[in-house]
Amino acid sequence: MGWVLKKAGKTLPLLSAVIILLIAWWLLSLGLKSPAVPPPLEALKSLWRSMQGDLPAHLGVSLYRILVSLFLATAMAVPLGLFLGKNPEMDTKAAPLIYLTYPVPKVVFMPILLIVLGIGDVSKIVLITLIAFYQILVTTRDAAKNLDKEYVISVRSLGAGSWDLYRHVYLPGCLPSILTSLRLGLGTAMAVLFLVETYATQKGIGFFILDSLSRMNYEEMFAGIIAMGLMGFVLYLLLDKAEKNLCAWIHT
Amino acid sequence: MKMNNDYLSIKSLKVEYMQNGQALTALESVDLSLPQGKTGVIIGPSGCGKSTLLNVLAGLNPRYSGRVMIDGRTPEGGGETALILQDYGLLPWKTVWDNVILGMQLRKKTHRATKTAAEAVLDKLGLLPMARRYPAQLSGGQRQRVAIARALILDPKLLLMDEPFSSLDALTREEIQDFLLKIWEETQLTILLITHNIEEAVFLGQKIFIMSPCPGKIEQAVDNIMAGDYNLRGRVQFLEMCSFLRSFLHRRGNYGMGA
Ligand SMILES: Nc1ncnc2c1ncn2[C@@H]1O[C@H](COP(=O)(O)OP(=O)(O)OP(=O)(O)O)[C@@H](O)[C@H]1O
Ligand SMILES: [Mg+2]
Repeated sequence: MGWVLKKAGKTLPLLSAVIILLIAWWLLSLGLKSPAVPPPLEALKSLWRSMQGDLPAHLGVSLYRILVSLFLATAMAVPLGLFLGKNPEMDTKAAPLIYLTYPVPKVVFMPILLIVLGIGDVSKIVLITLIAFYQILVTTRDAAKNLDKEYVISVRSLGAGSWDLYRHVYLPGCLPSILTSLRLGLGTAMAVLFLVETYATQKGIGFFILDSLSRMNYEEMFAGIIAMGLMGFVLYLLLDKAEKNLCAWIHT
Repeated sequence: MKMNNDYLSIKSLKVEYMQNGQALTALESVDLSLPQGKTGVIIGPSGCGKSTLLNVLAGLNPRYSGRVMIDGRTPEGGGETALILQDYGLLPWKTVWDNVILGMQLRKKTHRATKTAAEAVLDKLGLLPMARRYPAQLSGGQRQRVAIARALILDPKLLLMDEPFSSLDALTREEIQDFLLKIWEETQLTILLITHNIEEAVFLGQKIFIMSPCPGKIEQAVDNIMAGDYNLRGRVQFLEMCSFLRSFLHRRGNYGMGA
């Protein structure tokens, strides 16, 4: 009985959000009367049809690109960020390099990456990785830097070496911030994904959307947009779930 | 010489910090000694270097000059010395149990030995029922007891405490003071404790060290036979000792401000 209510407490706001979005969309399509904004029902029907066709394949390619990129970015940025946050001397040396390169919009390197790395998955993954890397790096480093020194002192007094400090203090202490940066990184990665997939490729959800647009098949284009949105939503939910499990101490 | 028998002996200790490119002398010619199994309390104005002194003793700051010996050895982290801080330094992401066994884990003790020791120490401190809780789910007094458990599980010979009871209410504070005394009587630990509370100093310190303002040094070492005697708390003798210390500190305080 209890869990039904608890489930309902979570699903109800989600359901109403979906309904509100659909109504807004429907009103918009009624008002605009433009073929570029088809009514939601048409788009959903088209989504159903596309799911029987080649949409899943495109989604799969995009999912692969996103997951590999986020994994690589995390695997590089978290250790480096923790290291710089723990060692202020190294951080002062690295800071100029980070601050000079951080604000440069990495997408401008896309043409170069395409030339150097080819039009396959590698160039796309490198670009998304690069962008997510900076977001995670800066957040992780700041979290490690601001970690309460009391924790470090008390654990060192128990006999902890550097490695123990990373394992018992820095990594778990920064994990909430790391997961937050991953969620932000996911948003950016999705945006960049769309961009890189509309360029010199025949695969991916970005291509699917743009291809439908060029064929003026707006229902199918919206099917692609919905599918991309759902993919982001599911990934976001997974990160949320991971945060709840890994950082149980915050949620008590 | 008597010096050599002291468990803890400090001679002409000097500690400097770099602050914005300038050297700041936090401690200057500090001499202090404490025999095995005795309790010492350090009292002194804020910023005089009390925490700095404990950090050196805990082996966390090797950048000092002078001679510091604990049981004939130079201090090092993770040895027979335990440090307890004002905010306890408990890790919020570890449960009570995991916080308490951390020192055993770092020392690569076996799983079984760790479990036995943790159960014993948690039981002794009345913490077993809350072993699965996180520090945020405990009261201040319970957190303090977890910090004590985390130190005691390692069987330390020297217990360093930096204002350990200052964020507790009066009642809890007295409870934990009594508790600390009980542990001290059982284990024959050597304890060095920092406090701002004069009554606490007189109740807990067989030796009371009064420090001068920055750069800190030991202004006076007072022997106090009333330490640990519950019956004397609040008696005339006890209060006289308190007011003696208070007047001493105030004199120093005014001097420090005038200079
Ligand atoms: N890591 C550090 N770097 C630079 N200066 C420091 C550092 N730690 C302490 N100091 C300085 O050294 C002096 C002594 O500090 P310390 O923390 O030992 O004082 P304290 O007696 O413990 O004070 P309180 O009673 O307020 O805790 C202070 O002037 C402080 O500003
Ligand atoms: Mg202090």
